Amino acid sequence: MSQVEFKGYAITDANLWTQFNLIEYQPKTFDDNDVELRIAYCGVCGSDVHTITQGWGQIPTPLVVGHEITGQVTRVGANVKEFKVGDRVGVGAQIGSCYKCRACKEDQENYCPSMIDTYNAHYPDGVFAQGGYSTAIRANQQFVFAIPENLPLRYAASMLCAGLTVFSPLKRHGCGPGKKVGIVGIGGLGHYALLFAKAMGAEVYAFTHSNRKMDDIKKMGADHIIVTGNNPDFAKPLQMQLDLIVCALDVGKGMPLKDYLSMLWVHGKFVMVGLPDEPLPEMKAFDFLTGAFLGGSHIGNKKEALEMLQLAADKGIKPWIEEMPMSKAGEAVQRVKNGDVRYRFVLKQDISPIDID
Amino acid sequence: MSSVEFKGYAVTDTNKWSQFSVIDFQPKKFEDTDVEIAITHCGVCGSDLHTITSGWGEVPLPLVVGHEIVGKVTRVGSKVKEFKVGDRAGIGAQIGSCYSCRACKTDNENYCSKGVETYASKYPDGTLTQGGYSTAIRGNEQFVFPIPDKLESRDAASMLCAGLTVFSPLVRNGVGPGTKVGIVGIGGLGHYAVLFGKALGAEVYAFTHDNRKVEDIKKMGADQVTVTDDKGEFANDLAQTLDLIISTRDVAEGMPLQQYLSMLWVHGRLVTVGLPDQPLPQLSAFDLNPNGCYLGSTHIGSKKEAVQMLQLAADKGIKPWIEELPMKEAKQAVERLKRNDVRYRFVLTQDLA
Repeated sequence: MSQVEFKGYAITDANLWTQFNLIEYQPKTFDDNDVELRIAYCGVCGSDVHTITQGWGQIPTPLVVGHEITGQVTRVGANVKEFKVGDRVGVGAQIGSCYKCRACKEDQENYCPSMIDTYNAHYPDGVFAQGGYSTAIRANQQFVFAIPENLPLRYAASMLCAGLTVFSPLKRHGCGPGKKVGIVGIGGLGHYALLFAKAMGAEVYAFTHSNRKMDDIKKMGADHIIVTGNNPDFAKPLQMQLDLIVCALDVGKGMPLKDYLSMLWVHGKFVMVGLPDEPLPEMKAFDFLTGAFLGGSHIGNKKEALEMLQLAADKGIKPWIEEMPMSKAGEAVQRVKNGDVRYRFVLKQDISPIDID
Repeated sequence: MSSVEFKGYAVTDTNKWSQFSVIDFQPKKFEDTDVEIAITHCGVCGSDLHTITSGWGEVPLPLVVGHEIVGKVTRVGSKVKEFKVGDRAGIGAQIGSCYSCRACKTDNENYCSKGVETYASKYPDGTLTQGGYSTAIRGNEQFVFPIPDKLESRDAASMLCAGLTVFSPLVRNGVGPGTKVGIVGIGGLGHYAVLFGKALGAEVYAFTHDNRKVEDIKKMGADQVTVTDDKGEFANDLAQTLDLIISTRDVAEGMPLQQYLSMLWVHGRLVTVGLPDQPLPQLSAFDLNPNGCYLGSTHIGSKKEAVQMLQLAADKGIKPWIEELPMKEAKQAVERLKRNDVRYRFVLTQDLA
């Protein structure tokens, strides 16, 4: 039985979304399938900002966000075989599901209609799920991922939502040698999509709005960089060329979706992993006449999470992160809102610090 | 060398889109790779209506529409291997492509960016294509389909656009035994989707807003028929159930698109074969991510698929629900189609020669 305390930086007034206050709270009721961990790092996700700014809807308070969590196991339930105390593990954007529906049984737990998000969700027994800008968390083992030895926890952290959310569609659509993959929007998710797509062997076309990020994008390994801002004909040279496009833009209506669709080869997919507050652009059936598809995606399953982490460890994939103490969460979320981050913030837990790499 | 004449029922004024006048017209210059057909039947397609009403944009006039064409071969070019004079053959909504691009080389000629449509389109030499409400047509062999002996011409005609347009996405999206397919809108295309969906072995869920069609749809073989409203509550019982939905809806207003998408299993697809003039209902990314579903469209089908479809129809004795009219009654056909007064496809019998 561990003695971890559960304390976190919470939003206590939804109108003051950059002001975090330290609270204590009740964690998930521990059960035989659970893993408890002390948190070392938590990435800052766009979802955190959409949530606390109430762009995605009203929130209850106090609310601790954060769903890119890495740390060390402090306790395991009687049914847990995969982990033991001391293991290095992570938890992403999902923390529960029903475990018995078709989705859960077919490695599609990230599409379970009864899924439980890591924060701002309720467990069946009514306990409110608080996220990872905190000292500790408990999760069902299905949603806990072992972190490979040679992958530092501060790098793994933001892979658990940003990384997985792009890795899953890349993998599911056969990203690999011989494939031409477009990545739209090179931010937290977009830069991971670029790094992973290259690691998987594809030819990568990066689409970015301005010149600002060009040097970085070259260093990340993009084969081609297309600047879309003030460039209305950007898609013309690439008509029907790309097999897959992963769009990580946090933009809805303003996006030239028709132009992106026109770049897809027959039956190619445009997968929207961004979740803007606003609707997607207006579309006509005619926009899809090359047989292209527009799709969505929701995180990834555990198998994909483990495969991704192993790929990152094997290929030495280093995300471009900026580390900050967790007490500076307010500054981090404000800068994410402003788009002022190269390319992901990772908060180091400083409430009851843990010394682990 | 044949001596077919090329005459057809043309629209000369899109403000009087149901008034047809007989015209003579210049056909495509005959090439070694061409097949010429004396037309016996031509189906009436929603595309014909969208075109002559200028709903899809301005059109060159005079214009002969019609792209569900069946007849008898009267002439073949020296390079034509597949057909001889006297064969029954058909032509659908496409009549040319570039023959050399990646699409053309991978049985995706229906996605060639230089595709030539059977009417209102231009060949590279500038000739305007005139369609099948006429006596004869010429087309490249790639776009001419053999009609199996056991399949009657009047039944085959409307398969060449309506049938193929739904058959292609059915087979490209893996429809077969063990799959659940939803068909939204049971009209010309929709009824073919039900008939072919069943013939391919799938479980077919039909959605119609017209409760007068329910009995017919059951006779077509649908496993389940749902009468829909624009609110979409009908979708709740079928959440995350269907592998594929083919939407033939020709009207985007009031379409409960989010609700349709919610009926898809993980990574299921909604393919709209209907091409409404208006934009689709606005979606948010949150409408796509609960089940990771896809929205797309499709364009006719390849020759391989056309031949496969016609053979399936012949083998399984698939009979479309058609109403035949002489070609001179084109006015009645298009006006009734505009009012949705057809069960379920008009086929015109050529009466000029």
